[in-house]
Amino acid sequence: MTDLTATIPAATSEARAAHTRRRYASEKRFRMYGLASICIAITAVVVLLGSVLARGLPAFTQTFIQAEIFLDPAVLDPTGARDPEEIRKILTFSYAPLIQESLTDLASELQAGSAPGITPQLLAGMVSEAAGANLRNYVLANPDQIGETVPFEFLTTGRIDQYIKGHITRESSMGDTRVDPAQLNAADQLRELGLLERRLNLAFLTNPDASENRPEAAGLGVALIGSAYMMLIVLVLALPIGVAASIYLEEFAPKNWITDVIEVNISNLAAVPSIVFGILGLAFFINFVNLPVSAPIVGGLVLTLMTLPTIIISTRAAIKSVPPSIKEAALGVGASKMQAIFHHTLPLAAPGILTGTIIGLAQALGETAPLLLIGMVAFVVDFPGPLPGGLFDPATALPVQVYNFTQRADPAFVERASGAIIVLLVFLLIMNTIAIILRQRLERTW
Amino acid sequence: MTIVDDKLTFNPKDGVRHIDSAASGTQAPAKVRTKNVTVHYGDKQALFDVSIDVAPRRVTAFIGPSGCGKSTFLRCINRMNDTIPIAKVGGDIFLDDMNIYDPRIDVVELRARVGMVFQKPNPFPKSIYENVAYGPKIHGMTRNKTELDEIVVSSIKRAGLWSEVKDRLNEPGTGLSGGQQQRLCIARAIATRPEVVLMDEPCSALDPIATAIVEELIDELRANFTIIIVTHSMQQAARVSQQTAFFHLGKLIEEGRTEDIFSAPKHKQTEDYITGKIG
Repeated sequence: MTDLTATIPAATSEARAAHTRRRYASEKRFRMYGLASICIAITAVVVLLGSVLARGLPAFTQTFIQAEIFLDPAVLDPTGARDPEEIRKILTFSYAPLIQESLTDLASELQAGSAPGITPQLLAGMVSEAAGANLRNYVLANPDQIGETVPFEFLTTGRIDQYIKGHITRESSMGDTRVDPAQLNAADQLRELGLLERRLNLAFLTNPDASENRPEAAGLGVALIGSAYMMLIVLVLALPIGVAASIYLEEFAPKNWITDVIEVNISNLAAVPSIVFGILGLAFFINFVNLPVSAPIVGGLVLTLMTLPTIIISTRAAIKSVPPSIKEAALGVGASKMQAIFHHTLPLAAPGILTGTIIGLAQALGETAPLLLIGMVAFVVDFPGPLPGGLFDPATALPVQVYNFTQRADPAFVERASGAIIVLLVFLLIMNTIAIILRQRLERTW
Repeated sequence: MTIVDDKLTFNPKDGVRHIDSAASGTQAPAKVRTKNVTVHYGDKQALFDVSIDVAPRRVTAFIGPSGCGKSTFLRCINRMNDTIPIAKVGGDIFLDDMNIYDPRIDVVELRARVGMVFQKPNPFPKSIYENVAYGPKIHGMTRNKTELDEIVVSSIKRAGLWSEVKDRLNEPGTGLSGGQQQRLCIARAIATRPEVVLMDEPCSALDPIATAIVEELIDELRANFTIIIVTHSMQQAARVSQQTAFFHLGKLIEEGRTEDIFSAPKHKQTEDYITGKIG
């Protein structure tokens, strides 16, 4: 022993101090790296959220013109019987002249003011094509008001709305055939008069998608219902199948090369690009099983296949993390294997299973690529029917709707795409919060 | 030096070893009889031809150094080794006259008759009441809540835990101290009214005071149950058991009355272990 220590030269105090300095310096450097990466991450999140919110929040407000309108019974209820069936026969088309008429007085008033170029036609052109439908809905809901003059809020066109929101200016709208400078003057004057205002517009959440000409009326209603239907299918199918598969693999499957192959394949499936699942959905569910295109049922099935590996992997991890002593205790008092699993292992694994399921659902909710392939990118204005038949009706999904909005030429759709992203993010946030709450509530110590 | 001396190894041809019936003062037949029990974990043999008779209503201690197979053997008696896929058990084990490895035997019923207490206290993360009630519930031993309550209360009382938990039966069993948890596990094990209680180093995770309480409890329980306890503490074996079996390297070396084993071991390995030379 003494020989051994003698051969190692004692470190000088200087050398030791230098070594300590180097060690401290490297520790400090490492801390700085960590700090820098966190700063980058936070900046990225702030920029992302900031830009999405800045662009998307205006989608939740919309500009309206207030005017009085005479609900002419000669046009709206020619029979005079106030029969809802008869009123229903009057289509949106017939409402347009009424609107234009009601704006005539306002137009002459504006002509006298600072918008001399405004004509009744131009003023009516500031009102969205969707206004007629809104008015018709109002009349159908209040048939007793036919024959009276009622105040009504007319949705303005996307151009006027964008002008009020500051996204287009007089200069940028030069040469735009869809807006006249006189209309912009009129908008300014109406705003001064308090007859034109921007207010909260929840129709963005409930309206179906709208055509290129009416970005102001486009909404997420169909997409929300489509996404909800698909999430329901994923939950109903993926959770029981995933949990059952995990229990079998974890507790019953013999350990041999077949189970090894299955395990490897499940891990690989989790890494398969989602568009591949879309191709599978197209080839199998649509071409082979002949399920309808664009239907939530197909989307739900494809997303189920995509979510299964996530759920299986997290469920198996949750089952593995239950201490074996608990299962042994149950077996020791004479519980069967099934009883030990269902009475003890599963309740203890529940927080992990639920967290994995919700994270899988959140992934599925945000998935776009496979849905493009099975036709859910279609332009759908009709709401899918109630369950269960509605599962076979055409619908879109939230992320696909975002993609859809970004493909439109009218710049007013940009804010709608961002607004849809906000809705999607809010849903994801809610789901993740539920996952965290469930985990904390259900987690038990042993 | 070879660890196993040929002269000292147990010869399976000897057949079943019988306990010293004079010592027990009765001619009671053995509660558990084993014949040439072997256990393989995959290719590795963990237990070599163990044959032993366990007397009823007594405490039998299995002692021996770590890895000697005493726990493995214990886990054969309620077929807990079934849960290990690579474990292969050979030979015969009889509970009274029933061969427990008979394919017709329902392992669930067997485990109701042969209870088990584990090394580390492992109460379910449920209430104290639920912990004890679980066994009777799954075996359908009671017809109504009153009967179940009776079993729970009597089991907890027998485990000497009643005065400590009677006001908090609905609190989680995991909130008890280590010693209380282990007594709760004993209450849970005896709630199914087993005939044999297996204890796998029940005090190894407990402090000395809790150990003393549990040992006292074991002594009381022997009036009603046949108890087999695995321990690596020779002092504990000497304190709680009437019969002792010494295992070494997967073989049963010697068994007999506890006093005899500790005062006059017949085999050199036993003596070496007891005097602290091996193990």
